[in-house]
Amino acid sequence: MNPAPFTIKSGGTASWAIRIVIAAALAGLALWIPTSASNGLIDSCITALTLMACAMALNLLLGYTGQISIGHSAFFGIGAYTTGILVSGYGWSPFQTFAVAFVIAFVVGALVSLPALRIKGVYLALVTLALGLVFPQIIKWPKLEWLTGGARGLDKTGFRFTKDNPTYEIFGWNPWGTLRGENVKPFHFWIAMGIVVIVYLACRGVVKSRAGRSLIAIRDNETAAAVMGVNLAGTKALVFGLSAALCSLPGCLSAIRTGNVTPDSTNITVAGSITFLIVMVVGGAGSLWGPIVGSVLYVFVTELTGDWSDTDAIPAVLRPLFGWSNTPPGTGIFAVLLIVLMFVAPFGIVGMYRRLQARVVTVVPKPAGTGTISAPAATPVEA
Amino acid sequence: MELFLQRLFDGLSQGSVYSLIALGLVIIYRGTGHLNFAQGEMALFCTYVVYQCGEWGLPIGISVIIGMLVGFALGAVTEVTLIRPVAKKSAFAVFIVTLGLFQFLNWLDGAIWSDQPLPNSGVGSNQQSFPSLFPNKPDDFINVFGAAIKLQSIGVFLLVLVLFGLLFLLFNYTKLGLAMNAVASNAESAKLVGIRTNMVLMVSWGLAAAIGALGGVVFAGINSNVNLGLMFTVFIYASAAATLGGFDSPGGAVLGGLIIGVIENMAAGYAEEWVGQELKVGVALVVILVVLLVKPSGLFGTAKVERV
Repeated sequence: MNPAPFTIKSGGTASWAIRIVIAAALAGLALWIPTSASNGLIDSCITALTLMACAMALNLLLGYTGQISIGHSAFFGIGAYTTGILVSGYGWSPFQTFAVAFVIAFVVGALVSLPALRIKGVYLALVTLALGLVFPQIIKWPKLEWLTGGARGLDKTGFRFTKDNPTYEIFGWNPWGTLRGENVKPFHFWIAMGIVVIVYLACRGVVKSRAGRSLIAIRDNETAAAVMGVNLAGTKALVFGLSAALCSLPGCLSAIRTGNVTPDSTNITVAGSITFLIVMVVGGAGSLWGPIVGSVLYVFVTELTGDWSDTDAIPAVLRPLFGWSNTPPGTGIFAVLLIVLMFVAPFGIVGMYRRLQARVVTVVPKPAGTGTISAPAATPVEA
Repeated sequence: MELFLQRLFDGLSQGSVYSLIALGLVIIYRGTGHLNFAQGEMALFCTYVVYQCGEWGLPIGISVIIGMLVGFALGAVTEVTLIRPVAKKSAFAVFIVTLGLFQFLNWLDGAIWSDQPLPNSGVGSNQQSFPSLFPNKPDDFINVFGAAIKLQSIGVFLLVLVLFGLLFLLFNYTKLGLAMNAVASNAESAKLVGIRTNMVLMVSWGLAAAIGALGGVVFAGINSNVNLGLMFTVFIYASAAATLGGFDSPGGAVLGGLIIGVIENMAAGYAEEWVGQELKVGVALVVILVVLLVKPSGLFGTAKVERV
C-alpha cells in the first residue's frame, strides 16, 4: 500500500486543532437547535438523540464485547415504566426516577447476563429476542395491572409545569424554552442531549480503559481472553448491566416526553430492539461514532420519506421506484442499506470512512507508555 | 377430560406450525451453521402470495403450491446472492443480513399488501381474512370421548404428518437427501467425494423456505387472517422448538414443535390465572433458557465440540 500523502501525529497540534473545530461545531449545533430551529426539527433531533443513546448502549455490548442482544427494547421499557410508575403513581419528580431506572435496569441486565455466560452467539440472540417479546407481555399481565396499567398503559407521566418551576435566564436567553407555555421541546432536547453526553462518556470511559481492552479481547476470542486473565463472568455481567442501565435512560426520557407509556409504543416492543441494532450496525459497530452517525442518518431518512405515502410528495426522479406503495419506504431503504453495507463495509459507515481516510491521512499514534492507548479500530476483515 | 383432549389437539395443530418453521431453521442450520432470522418473514411473504392468488380467484390448493414454489425460489435466491458471499466474511455478517432481510420482507409485505408501516406490536395492524385449508365452520368438528375436536385441527395435524413422512423419505432414501446429510456432517469431506455442496446448500435454503411457506399458510388458516405481525411469535416458538429438539436434528425439531405447542396451550389453559394469553410467549423463553443451560445440544442434537 502506498503511504498516505498526509501525516497527523496523535496528540500533536494538528490533531488538537481538528478536535477543537469538531467540538466547537457540535457545541454550536447543540445550542442552535433548541433556540432557533423549528419545532419539527427539534422533535426529530430528540428522536435521533434517543435512538443514539440506545444504539450507543447496545454498541458497548455488541460492537465491543460481541454479545448479540435483540432484547434491548426491554431495558428501554424498564426505563420508561420506572419513570411512568413513579411519576404518575407516586408523584416523584421525573429527574429522581433516572437513578432508580438506572439501578433497576443494571440489576436486570446483570441477571440476564448470567445465562449469557454459558450461551453464546446466535443462541444468545434467541434468548434476548424472547426477552424482548416477553417484556411487553409482562406489562400487560393482569396480575401486574395495578402497577403497570396493563394494555392501556400509564398517562400523566410527563413533567408537570407549575408556577414553582424556576425559569432560568442567561443574559435574557432562556435555555429551557417556555416552560409554562406549550413549548417544552427545548427542555426535552436538553434532557436528551444530557443523556447522550452521559452515555457517550460512559462508553468512551469503558472502551478506552483496561476494561474496554478486555471487552474487545472477549469479542475477538473468548478462550484466549480467559487465558490472558480476563474475568469472563464478571466482565460480561458488568457490561451487560451497564449496557442495560444506559439503555434505560432514554426510556425515562420517552415517558417524560410523550407524557404516557404504553406497552405497544415502538421502542418498547421488539421492533425497537431491531431498530437500535440496525442503526448501530449501519453507523458502525465497534466504534464510538458509529451510533451517532447511524441514528442521525436513520432519523433523516425516515423523516424525509415519512410523507412519501402520498405519491405527489416523492421527488419526480424516485417516483417510479416508490410511487406504487402507500407505505413510507424508510424502513425498507434502511434494511437494503444494511444488507448492502454488509457486503461493502462490514464495519458500517464509520468503518468505511476510516478506510478511505487511511488512504489520505496517516494518524501516528502516541508512543506506547505516554498515555492511554486508544482502542484499536475494528480491523476490516477483507482488507 | 374433554377440555384436556381439546387443548391437546389445539396444541398439536399449533405445534405442527411451529414444527414446520423449526424444520426450516434446522435444515438451514445443518447445512451452514447459520440461524435464519428471516425464516418467519419468508414464510409470511409466501403466505401473502397465497392470499393474493386467492384474490385472483385461484383455488386454495393451487395457491398453496404456487406459494411453496415462490418460497423455494426466494430461499434459493437468498442463499446464492446474499448468504453465500457474506458467509465468507463472518458469522456475524450473516446474522445481520438475515436480520436486514427480516426487516425488508416485513416492509415489503406491508408496502404491497397492507397500508400500514411495520406494526408496533404485531396485533391490531391491518389484516386480511385468509381462507382455511380445511373445513372451519362452527359445526365442523367431531366428537372424541366427548371432546369437540375441530376438523381443522385434525386436518392440519394429518397434513403435517404426511409432509414429515415425505421429508423422512427424502432425507434418508434419495440422493439429494443423502447429499444433504453428508454436507451437514462434514462439508469439506462431502466436497471431496464429489458432492456439489453449493447446489445442496441452495436446495436446503429453498426447501426450508418452501416448508416455511406451508407453515405460514396453515397458521394463517388457523387464525383465519394474515397480518404483518403473524410470524413474530411463531418464529420464537419455532426457535424454542428447534432448541428443544436440537438444532441439527430434523426429527427433533418436529417433536420439539409439537411439545412446545402442547405445553403452550396447556399452560395458557390450566394456569389461566398465572400464564393466560399474556404470558404464553414466556413458555418459549423458559424452554429456550432451560434447554440451553441444562442440555445445550437439545434432546436429539449432537453435542458441539469447540476447537481452540
